[in-house]
Amino acid sequence: MDRTLEVLAVCGVGMGSSLMLKMTAEDALRALNVDARVENTDLSTARGMTADVIIGQGMHTDEIADAAPVVITVSDFLDKEGLQAALRERLAEKGWLA
Amino acid sequence: MTAVGARDGVDADGWRAATRAAAGVLVEMGAAAAGYPDACVRVVERDGPYIVLTKGLALVHARPEDGGLAVGVAATRLAAPVEFGHPDNDPVDLLLAFCTPDADAHVASLSALARALSAGLADRLRGAAGDAEMAAELGRALPEEARPDA
Repeated sequence: MDRTLEVLAVCGVGMGSSLMLKMTAEDALRALNVDARVENTDLSTARGMTADVIIGQGMHTDEIADAAPVVITVSDFLDKEGLQAALRERLAEKGWLA
Repeated sequence: MTAVGARDGVDADGWRAATRAAAGVLVEMGAAAAGYPDACVRVVERDGPYIVLTKGLALVHARPEDGGLAVGVAATRLAAPVEFGHPDNDPVDLLLAFCTPDADAHVASLSALARALSAGLADRLRGAAGDAEMAAELGRALPEEARPDA
């Protein structure tokens, strides 16, 4: 992608768990050499935002499956390798990986 | 500065009691108001057990306006694990509770906590002998300016 990738990490409250997920996502995207801006927010705020990628737990991503071109479901917010693998696959599908 | 506390060997008959006990440590430290534990339970009732971030570990929290008085972090280890109803990460034996007076004050502490969890903090807390060692492990995970003894 020729611009900064916009990524949202979502959770219910929008400031605790999603902040943890944001840290994990930043590490995973850095490892993939993707230029990205990651923000964390709550589910209802996420509905009104535009993003390229939304990441969250299944109980949340099921509700916003159409809110971004790429929606990634993770169950372990600290699993960098798992998130990195999912991002690699999904971003490559979109042609967003160099 | 971040208030840090820990409680080992807590008996809880289910996730609500475990969540209240974990957030209750914050109330005892004076970092959260009396209504905060119930607010933490309501978060899970409303939004599901997403606070179970990884295998066996829940991050208990609510919004600042639900009773956050200071930035506080507390670790609670259960005598017996409980089910939150999470599809992958149950059962939970370790709870980290946090509170914050506003939406920005906690970012440095929680970011440091995320890094420390990735580097094995949960296992160090599980291996600690008692409240004092758990609190010391937690304190070491925080950025220097946020530590209680700084």
